[in-house]
Amino acid sequence: MKFQIEDVTVYFPYDNIYPEQYAYMVELKRALDAKGHCLLEMPTGTGKTIALLSLITSYALSKPSNPIKFIYCTRTVHEMEKTLSELKLLHNYQLQHLGPAAKILALGLSSRKNLCINPTVVSAENRDSVDAACRKLTASWVRELAAENPRIPTCSFFENYEKSASEAILPPGVYTLQDLRAYGKLKGWCPYFLARHMVQLANVVVYSYQYLLDPKVAGIISKEMQRESVVVFDEAHNIDNVCIEALSVSVRMQTLEGATRNINRMSQEIDRFKATDAGRLRAEYNRLVEGLALRGDLPASDAWLANPALPNDILKEAVPGNIRRAEHFLSVLRRLVQYIRGRLQTENVEKEGPVAFVASVNTQAGIDQKMLRFCYDRLHSLMLTLEISDTDEFLHIQTICDFATLVGTYTRGFSIIIEPFDERMPHIPDPVLQLCCHDASLAIKPVFERFQSVVITSGTLSPIDLYPRLLNFNPVVSRSFTMSLTRDCICPMVLTRGSDQLPVSTKYDLRSDPGVEKNYGKLLLEMVSVVPDGIVCFFVSYSYMDGIVNSWHETGLLKEIMQHKLVFIETQDVVETTLALDNYRKACDCGRGAVFFSVARGKVAEGIDFDRHYGRLVIMFGVPFQYTLSRILLARLEYLRDTFQIKEGDFLTFDALRQAAQCVGRVIRSKADYGMMIFADKRYSRHDKRSKLPGWILSHLRDAHLNLSTDMAAHIAREFLRKMAQPYDKTGVMGKKTLLSEADLEKMGNSNLGEMF
Amino acid sequence: MADKQQQVVVKRARHKSSVKDPGTPGVLKLTKDRFTFMPNDPSSPVKHNVEFRTIKGHKFTKDGTKQALLNLTQDQGGNYIFEFENFPDRNVCKDFVASAIALSGEAGRTVPEKSAVPIQDEQLSAAEMERRIKLLQEDSDLQKLHKQFVIGGILSEAEFWATRKKLLEQNYSRRPKQRVALKNDMWSTKPLADGQSNRVTFNLTPEIILQIFAEKPAVRQAYLNFVPNKMTEKEFWTKYSRAEYLHSTKNVIAAAAEAAEDEELAVFLKQDDMLVNEARKKIRQVDPTLDMEADEGDDYMHLPIQDHGLPRNDNKDVLDSQYEPYRRSFSQHLNQHAAVVLQGRVIDVELGDTRSVAEALARTKHAELAKDASDVYLDKERLERISRMTEIEDLQAPRDPAVAPLSIKDPRDYFDSQQANAFSTLGDTVSGAKQLKCSVSTREAYCSLKECISEIKFQGLTEPTINSEVAFKVLNGLAQNISSNKYHLGRNPNESVLDSLPKITREELLLHWSSIQELLKHFWSSYPITTKYLLTKATKLKDAMSQIYPKLQEIKESVQSDLRHQVSLLVQPMLQSCVFMDQAFCCRP
Repeated sequence: MKFQIEDVTVYFPYDNIYPEQYAYMVELKRALDAKGHCLLEMPTGTGKTIALLSLITSYALSKPSNPIKFIYCTRTVHEMEKTLSELKLLHNYQLQHLGPAAKILALGLSSRKNLCINPTVVSAENRDSVDAACRKLTASWVRELAAENPRIPTCSFFENYEKSASEAILPPGVYTLQDLRAYGKLKGWCPYFLARHMVQLANVVVYSYQYLLDPKVAGIISKEMQRESVVVFDEAHNIDNVCIEALSVSVRMQTLEGATRNINRMSQEIDRFKATDAGRLRAEYNRLVEGLALRGDLPASDAWLANPALPNDILKEAVPGNIRRAEHFLSVLRRLVQYIRGRLQTENVEKEGPVAFVASVNTQAGIDQKMLRFCYDRLHSLMLTLEISDTDEFLHIQTICDFATLVGTYTRGFSIIIEPFDERMPHIPDPVLQLCCHDASLAIKPVFERFQSVVITSGTLSPIDLYPRLLNFNPVVSRSFTMSLTRDCICPMVLTRGSDQLPVSTKYDLRSDPGVEKNYGKLLLEMVSVVPDGIVCFFVSYSYMDGIVNSWHETGLLKEIMQHKLVFIETQDVVETTLALDNYRKACDCGRGAVFFSVARGKVAEGIDFDRHYGRLVIMFGVPFQYTLSRILLARLEYLRDTFQIKEGDFLTFDALRQAAQCVGRVIRSKADYGMMIFADKRYSRHDKRSKLPGWILSHLRDAHLNLSTDMAAHIAREFLRKMAQPYDKTGVMGKKTLLSEADLEKMGNSNLGEMF
Repeated sequence: MADKQQQVVVKRARHKSSVKDPGTPGVLKLTKDRFTFMPNDPSSPVKHNVEFRTIKGHKFTKDGTKQALLNLTQDQGGNYIFEFENFPDRNVCKDFVASAIALSGEAGRTVPEKSAVPIQDEQLSAAEMERRIKLLQEDSDLQKLHKQFVIGGILSEAEFWATRKKLLEQNYSRRPKQRVALKNDMWSTKPLADGQSNRVTFNLTPEIILQIFAEKPAVRQAYLNFVPNKMTEKEFWTKYSRAEYLHSTKNVIAAAAEAAEDEELAVFLKQDDMLVNEARKKIRQVDPTLDMEADEGDDYMHLPIQDHGLPRNDNKDVLDSQYEPYRRSFSQHLNQHAAVVLQGRVIDVELGDTRSVAEALARTKHAELAKDASDVYLDKERLERISRMTEIEDLQAPRDPAVAPLSIKDPRDYFDSQQANAFSTLGDTVSGAKQLKCSVSTREAYCSLKECISEIKFQGLTEPTINSEVAFKVLNGLAQNISSNKYHLGRNPNESVLDSLPKITREELLLHWSSIQELLKHFWSSYPITTKYLLTKATKLKDAMSQIYPKLQEIKESVQSDLRHQVSLLVQPMLQSCVFMDQAFCCRP
């Protein structure tokens, strides 16, 4: 269907539209018109993504004179794939109606690991080794050598791509990662470099958060994006955490050992160069004297991760004299590593600010703040000079320099925490030094400054007024939408008591109580016999999940559960978890039915949908609080209290409840879908906890469902499933329209839209 | 066949008037058509002698519950509850009763005078019997014939089915035999320790062995390698059990120590490399919308705290890496188990022979992995799936007409119902069909066919072969065409003679028509009459035929005068065949 929103003709690939999608688009359009940032919360299961894509692409189409670029950030690669396939659908629709004028170039971008098609490179274990394997074949010095000596292997895909030079472009269309690989194979071009090149020219770019938020990655990928861009962060409820992680570093004993090895290796290389090619080192020195930390135009294949500090905070001056010479720099690094090693030998937990740390480095190791700040760039330059291609070996020294640069750059919003051991295992020494960022607004600030519109959206952003404070920005539009439902297709319940009427909770004192474990098991057993197809269970942590599943196994409860459904479980091994998920879906597809055990805050909770028959019920066992004794968390809480006047308890509850809401929100995808959500912990019945849930869940949480025991919950589940099985009119009942057609929209016009909500 | 022993089943049981009742001990005797219960105490009034055809159904308790009960429900609402001493006894009786009820129920429905049925001279397996009953139930015409001839005593059961062997076989082979799925039971190593000695016992059945082989390819491979060259089967399983026991104690260090000494044991204790490789292959075919491995490849933050606020890797590496291969988690086992159960029984081998089981499993696995290599088709399917998944279903009309596989069980019923449809749309379809026929000349049709074939040759078959809408239209057209043909049985297909007849007459005519066909078939199949058996058969058939003759005459007379001519035209060939058969029989050498 197509319709007008003010002056924009919106192309929407379906025959009907939900009223809240329409309202969402209207708000979004206003934000775009105002060239400002916006914050929009819309329940899951209302087609947020397609509404976003549809409005923004239509907006761009309606203003061909100054085209805007659309940057869509997802949390994970599989969400990227999902988004791109929705975009494909939309694009086909627009092509049908507008013809060639609607042609756009849209592509996803990921790392070499996901895009490389060179079989020898891509078989490497992880991202770093794939990157390094690629460098070994494509770095400029390797190619120079190969030009003289044909025995040195190069990558044919990269060579072909380079040879085609300016001809190597992608024709318009929507490219998923798989499509990129297929196209690369067809043409014999390297899809990774092709995609990186095309990102500058594309109309729509879909990539992961890190490509904008992590200065290391953003520095090489997103440097040249135009200001007239709309940036969308989808599923952004965790965006503060991503921002914080982007600026945090941790150093362990292994890191230090590795770094020492790296330094030794570099010093050998320096000696070798001195003997064979002393001019090169001298050239580097001269360049540094002239004030250029890096050679200006590096070939794409040489580019390494960029400076970990934010672009505005990088000093634009010459590298200080005392680390210009390679040997001097190495000795500085040696002293730094030695100093950190000394600090790690502490017996007690230590916490200090960057200023104090820098001062003590200065007095004890003789390294001043400016030297620290330049560590990263200096290292980068040295590695290029030494022509080191196996970068994966040098991660340790890189981490040290990351740390040094950040600690030298920032004085506020960070703290350094040294823990000699993990609290839960005090007898095992495992010292770790962490530089943690507490201020989420730091990493996202350049994004807000650089781009004209930034959209932050998710299904769970409540309380919506907290996010502007955490991220320190002023949205022009900030709204939370409710879901207009044709029928009560979600059924949240709070279960406080088990089948023996005793309270259930994952509170610390109750957590390992066998009675609670048994009650939880009984609840699941009851549910597997009632609910068809898929059931998802979320636990508060991996250790809790392992423990409870083991105890269910020993008491025979698991066996009984398995009589009804197959059981799959999330592990910390992603390959295995992915396969388990795939099998889980197959089991739901074929009608066998299955249960999936997963962890709140884990990877599955973060990005996998359990819509339709893949999830008819979610059980959230316990309240997913953060590990409250963690020093990092405590330090962050302190910072939040001092800077934003956010109370610790409030933040912890907010954080736990947004995770819980995120977990249970995975069951619903459209209004034809239905699902139940059980919050199994007595603490959910308290008002201060519950009220932090997003409005769309609260509005369905009836008073009668606030204090249930297992048998009552099973009864409600039966009733609910029976009710959902009845046919219904999906256009809505009693004058309340929940599905709008093109005609409806025309009749309504834009004027009286507000009345609908 | 097992039927010989199953003619009579005698078991000790208690009769109960209700579930709570302690019951009267006695002996339960089951025969083909009735069951009798004689109490041990002859003075007890509880005696039963009941025919199975009065029994409507049976219920029973689950294996492993408190009591082994069997409850037979009678037509009139009464019921008989028997408690057996153990479940195997009960199950034998249960199975027997089930088949007896099915048999008598089928017979009971058709004729009460079952006694007239000639004794069956062949032993039928229960499955065979079931299949026949099913066919009869599905096809009312067949049932009528069966009633008329077999139960009427003209043909024996065997003779009746002999001409329908194909039907039976086809029916049998068409649906794949339903295979029992694997049990969703984890083989938990609950060792039976006897407390006093240090002895631990494990129980292994062929079923469990199959499960172990399917879930742990390394064990399967080890079995193929070691047995019987290196060690005996018993030694192998002892070793395996030892490894399992070590795992169950969760003592990684002890496991590593033992493995260091014994390299065969080490095979079981180490992580399964084959599984790891398999996983690596499979991950490439996973739906990209849930591929979490790809995320890992896109992660630039080298932080231990990846999952926001989740406590750091809980079971942190306390141990050195040398023990790493001996660590095995329960979750891994759980996932692997569920995957295997989901895949189902992939092999079709008798379970007793361990070696052949292992080999068969290895073969199927190999074939599976080889197949994966050519995954062009899979890719396409996956893409389609994703695009289907991305669509929001309730925002648009459903894409395809809902499709279900066509399964016509009773053609007559089907065409009857289609006939009703046909009348409502008669005008356009009939004329439409006509037009279609007229407008296409033979030549054109040939050309179009040729084109189609060459297209298929060039492109291969598309999936589905034809558009489902088109298929539906064609099917509709055909159905109407056929159903009308069937009714326009007269010479002129455009005048439906039969439709103008009263319903009863029509039914009767059709029935006679099919029974004459059946009789003729049997009659001619018994030629040349060389044995006495054939002679009696032919005589019986002839008699049956001669009975039909007057009935036909009767029909002819009974119809209204304006239709009589047409009816007689219809009946004529039937009558002739009767007469002809009569003559043929008389003139036999």
